[in-house]
Amino acid sequence: MGKAKIKLDKDLMDKVKKFAEMAGYSSAEEFVSHCLEKEIAKLEDSDSEEEIKKKLKGLGYIS
Amino acid sequence: MNRRDFIKLGLTTGSLLAIGSGSNLVTQIKGRQETRTKVLVLGFDGIDPHLAQIWMKEGLLPHFEKLRQQGDFSPLRTSHPPQSPVAWSNFITGCNPGGHAIFDFIHRDPENYIPIFSASRTEEASKTLSIGNLVLPLSGGGVEQLRKGKAFWQVLEEHDVPATIFKIPSNYPPVSTEQKTISGMGTPDILGSYGIFNFYTTQAAEIDADIGGGRIHPVYVIGNRVEAKLPGPTNTFKKDRPESTIDFKVFIDPENPVAKIAIQNHEFILKEGEWSGWKRVHFNMIPTQSVSGICMFYLKQIRPEFKLYVSPINFDPAQAAIPLSTPKSYAEELEEKFGPFFTKGLPADTSALDNDVLDEAEFLQQDDFVLEERWQMLDYHLDRFDSGLLFYYVSSTDQRQHMFWRLIDKEHPVHDPLLASKYGDTIKNIYIEADRMLGKAMEKVDKDTIIMVMSDHGFTPFRRGLNLNTWLKENGYLSLINSWRQGQDYFFENTNWSRTKAYAYGLNSLYINQRGREAEGIVSAGPDKEALVREIARKLEEFKDPETGDQVVLRAHIAKDIYKGLYVEEAPDIVVGYNRGYRVSWATGLGRIPKPVLENNTEKWSGDHCMDPSVIPGILFCNRKIQAPSPALHDLTPTILRLFGIEAPKEMIGKAIFSA
Repeated sequence: MGKAKIKLDKDLMDKVKKFAEMAGYSSAEEFVSHCLEKEIAKLEDSDSEEEIKKKLKGLGYIS
Repeated sequence: MNRRDFIKLGLTTGSLLAIGSGSNLVTQIKGRQETRTKVLVLGFDGIDPHLAQIWMKEGLLPHFEKLRQQGDFSPLRTSHPPQSPVAWSNFITGCNPGGHAIFDFIHRDPENYIPIFSASRTEEASKTLSIGNLVLPLSGGGVEQLRKGKAFWQVLEEHDVPATIFKIPSNYPPVSTEQKTISGMGTPDILGSYGIFNFYTTQAAEIDADIGGGRIHPVYVIGNRVEAKLPGPTNTFKKDRPESTIDFKVFIDPENPVAKIAIQNHEFILKEGEWSGWKRVHFNMIPTQSVSGICMFYLKQIRPEFKLYVSPINFDPAQAAIPLSTPKSYAEELEEKFGPFFTKGLPADTSALDNDVLDEAEFLQQDDFVLEERWQMLDYHLDRFDSGLLFYYVSSTDQRQHMFWRLIDKEHPVHDPLLASKYGDTIKNIYIEADRMLGKAMEKVDKDTIIMVMSDHGFTPFRRGLNLNTWLKENGYLSLINSWRQGQDYFFENTNWSRTKAYAYGLNSLYINQRGREAEGIVSAGPDKEALVREIARKLEEFKDPETGDQVVLRAHIAKDIYKGLYVEEAPDIVVGYNRGYRVSWATGLGRIPKPVLENNTEKWSGDHCMDPSVIPGILFCNRKIQAPSPALHDLTPTILRLFGIEAPKEMIGKAIFSA
């Protein structure tokens, strides 16, 4: 899998390192990947899977 | 079609589904035979034989007791699994799921591992015409009932025996027939869902926006006025498919706890704590097309925070855009007689109670509207019952047990003694209400009428939930792509299918990731799969709850051993039968994999029946002696046919329970 570099402000990078360690991630990269994936998933899901979830959740037996 | 296209297609399920496509279900009732035999079947969803017997002994259910004395009582074997759509389909067809193809509330598409409604499928129009921003349906489209097998009232019809089938679950859309039938559980709300309420509040930040079964709308009170939008179905007539909405305003009395609501042509005043009754609303799609719905407003609070609840929007029975009844005029006949009525499958809003949008008293007020409607319509149908068969269904027995079990079960994680002192008799009271309905029926029918009172399953506590996919992962059958993402994804997004042998969807279903069936299957059909199925089933049955030492799964049933019929190949590979007190977790149903294997159930939804069938039989009371030693749901179907002198079709597996 190809890798790409992203530049981050030093202050932000320091925070990323600190919170990655606190939250138990194995590296800052893993933490950043996680955050980005979560945000992207929100955008991707906004008009599709979210709707299926909501419709099925009304069933009462699941959440 | 890729995964995302599939999802988008599925989005239209139920919304706008019949507009412009029409339904072939409308038929005229032809002349029907007068029968000497009359059969009345009362279906009380979820009545439990254990509780019924306790309260019969206490003299609280005199009509159940009287019926038992006139004939008989027996626990009634339920379906594998004991979920309502499965159980009622057993009754409807006289088959087990192998014959009717309803295996769970939720099935999955093996081509993309996405969950689907098991009961019905909606197709969009196959041909459309685009004019500017408009997309007009020309042909095709509609909604398809996915249950297979012949319904018993269709067999009765072939022999000219008239039947009226009132709200039997698992009959949406109603199957083609000239009998009078109206759909029940499985009928969507106007959004095509199992029910989505709207809640408007100035305190939105304090409520989780991602709740199931509801939408939270933040609003502001400006100059004693609130402006808001009521969301409706997706407008598929427009290319960008916007959500349709209706603007409405609330004018708050500056001094008194009263407000006026203005929506379309309605203006009505509600006091704090008052329900509006049904209000008809129209979502305009294009100048010639609109969708008509009905909903109730409940002004929960005005000050200090504003809180307005709007019920899920039911399809309007007077102008339903979906097929609700056969003939179409039957729903209209009821509407003409009673006004707007609940058309959504399960009318009580359990989601609103579960999410603290309605409290216990408010939930019961709403469900009392359902009960009141059921009473009136029971009377109406009994007055017109002069021949053939009448089936009449009541849902409140099921819904109240789901939500109030925590108040009769002192061991439940959310048992609340204070609430129990106020609402601890809710379940007992609904059994008493069912008994009163039976009393009304016994009083109204003639003495020769055969009366059967049945339920589809019983009830037990739901105290602990098994994250079945997590259990599969912990036991090496399911693999994740990123372990740190565990617990966040729906629909197995984070699952490494190339290393996954089994997965669970729905409430009792476990599937092998089978090569050639699943998109990324890795287990070969044949001996490899069979050995794996037996291994997982054995390990599940051996698994003990580390906190209590109890067996979690009473029986893991291998589908091909328990099912018979044309559709066995579509079944899940293992049907998981949970022990008393246990159920599949909340997360498993939609393909989530939280970290803990077992969790306490901390929801108000605290009683359940998705356990092993042996734990929760239903009930059967009738005014005839039951000859069968252990009757089952699918035995009632040939029994009914036999009462009218009709031999059961060969695909029915049940046997008549009375002697000839």
